[in-house]
Amino acid sequence: MKQLIQLTVNGELHEVRVEPWKTLLEVIRDDIGLTSPKEACSTGECSACTVLLNGKPVNSCLVLAVEAQSKDILTIEGLSQGSKLHPLQDAFIRHGAIQCGFCTPGMLLSAKALLDENPQPTEEEIREAISGNLCRCTGYNKIVEAILEVAQSQ
Amino acid sequence: MTQPLKPFGYFEPTTIEEAAQILSKYGTKAKVLAGGIDLVARMRRRLIQPQYVVSILNIPGLDYIQSDEAGLRFGALTAIRSIEFSPIIERDYAVLHEAASQIASVQVKTMGTAVGNLCVATPASDIASALYALAARLRITGSASEKIIPIEDFFVGVNKSVLEPGEIVTEVILPSPTLQTGGAFFKLVRTAADIAKVNVAVSLTVTDNRCGEARIALGSVAPTVIRATHAEEALKGSTLEPKVVEQAAQLAAQEAKPIADLRSTVEYRRGMVRVLVRRAVEKALTRARA
Ligand SMILES: Cc1cc2nc3c(=O)[nH]c(=O)nc-3n(C[C@H](O)[C@H](O)[C@H](O)COP(=O)(O)OP(=O)(O)OC[C@H]3O[C@@H](n4cnc5c(N)ncnc54)[C@H](O)[C@@H]3O)c2cc1C
Ligand code: FES
Ligand code: FES
Repeated sequence: MKQLIQLTVNGELHEVRVEPWKTLLEVIRDDIGLTSPKEACSTGECSACTVLLNGKPVNSCLVLAVEAQSKDILTIEGLSQGSKLHPLQDAFIRHGAIQCGFCTPGMLLSAKALLDENPQPTEEEIREAISGNLCRCTGYNKIVEAILEVAQSQ
Repeated sequence: MTQPLKPFGYFEPTTIEEAAQILSKYGTKAKVLAGGIDLVARMRRRLIQPQYVVSILNIPGLDYIQSDEAGLRFGALTAIRSIEFSPIIERDYAVLHEAASQIASVQVKTMGTAVGNLCVATPASDIASALYALAARLRITGSASEKIIPIEDFFVGVNKSVLEPGEIVTEVILPSPTLQTGGAFFKLVRTAADIAKVNVAVSLTVTDNRCGEARIALGSVAPTVIRATHAEEALKGSTLEPKVVEQAAQLAAQEAKPIADLRSTVEYRRGMVRVLVRRAVEKALTRARA
């Protein structure tokens, strides 16, 4: 029943044999070994499992791995350049936009997708872009401030 | 509680005919997969357990938004996000633009298709209310037949549509807007990412200061989205003065048949139908006159 699929994850080509009922999240975590996308609700409500699929944010808990055949996937592991953090990562740290960190990979990817599409977003557009990413710790303001700072310094 | 998916047979047809054939062969044991937002979540909650999943994602030519003199069409794989960002839809079909814009989250709208949203057949669908107001029709393709039906004939009840095994909704068709059509969409939610307690979509035409056509759709207040036909009648032919608008809003509240659930009580929903219908008619009117 397994299907051979090719996934480009953070610029690296992976060939994996997957069963069609495996989610992209399971394959990224268990087969490819990248554990930044988190699983919490498994129903599209929290977006802790966000990855960028061809540059767009998706809930990987609801995507079948076979659907991602030949597509480009970005996880947070692919965001920094070696030890040099992405400006968003840097701003999140400086603004205290991270507490427990569970939501952070998804938050950063939603923010990156927004800035790629709209480099000068308003505060409202930032709030809309992360509206699906739930955070139980920060109260969101510091996250919004961090993203705004990066947008303004671009 | 959610659990890992149970094994299923998976098909990736590349034509609609092939998809329809597989679907009719397996009947109720098979389900169409589009964006998967609803299907995969329901399978993970063990609410449904299809033995076969038929992905339509590899069928070319189903992801488009096209407009001409006759109106506008979009396909089975057009994402809600594409509808939200379509300049033509924003300009000519404001009701649909507003409904799509108010759905959270970006992730859901990126994968989730508007047609998939309809096929779930929930009365809380914002897309369905907007499409009722716009007099949309759906193209339904089966292995041996094709038909086009008004959206109101599509829904039967909560999570029930007229789709027979083997049938696929392939296209949504909207009539062309006349110059003086105005529309508006309002919904009431607890948080941005929640589904509607009540939603209201209105579309009006105004000629010489009189209301011609009026369509008022109400979501989350009956087993399917419904039209408030008494309220529509009250508006038609009138000059839409505030007294008439308020009377229509009250009629709409009486036409709503809401239930009480964890989101709202019956009384509250009715009260909010009145408020939202009034606001939506006022906004649609301003737009029609602009
Ligand atoms: C967090 C969250 C918030 C949401 N908020 C809202 C909201 O505010 N308003 C709102 O209206 N909706 C909301 N939704 C619902 C969401 O818009 C729909 O679940 C989604 O659009 C479904 O589309 P899909 O392409 O993912 O469908 P799928 O999950 O792929 O399919 C859904 C169902 O339709 C069938 N199907 C799909 N396409 C076809 C076709 N072409 N022909 C025949 N059958 C088909 C499938 O077999 C399945 O039964 C929300 C969902 C989530 C998870
Ligand atoms: S785990 Fe995917 S949305 Fe919550
Ligand atoms: S930092 Fe803990 S959930 Fe956001």
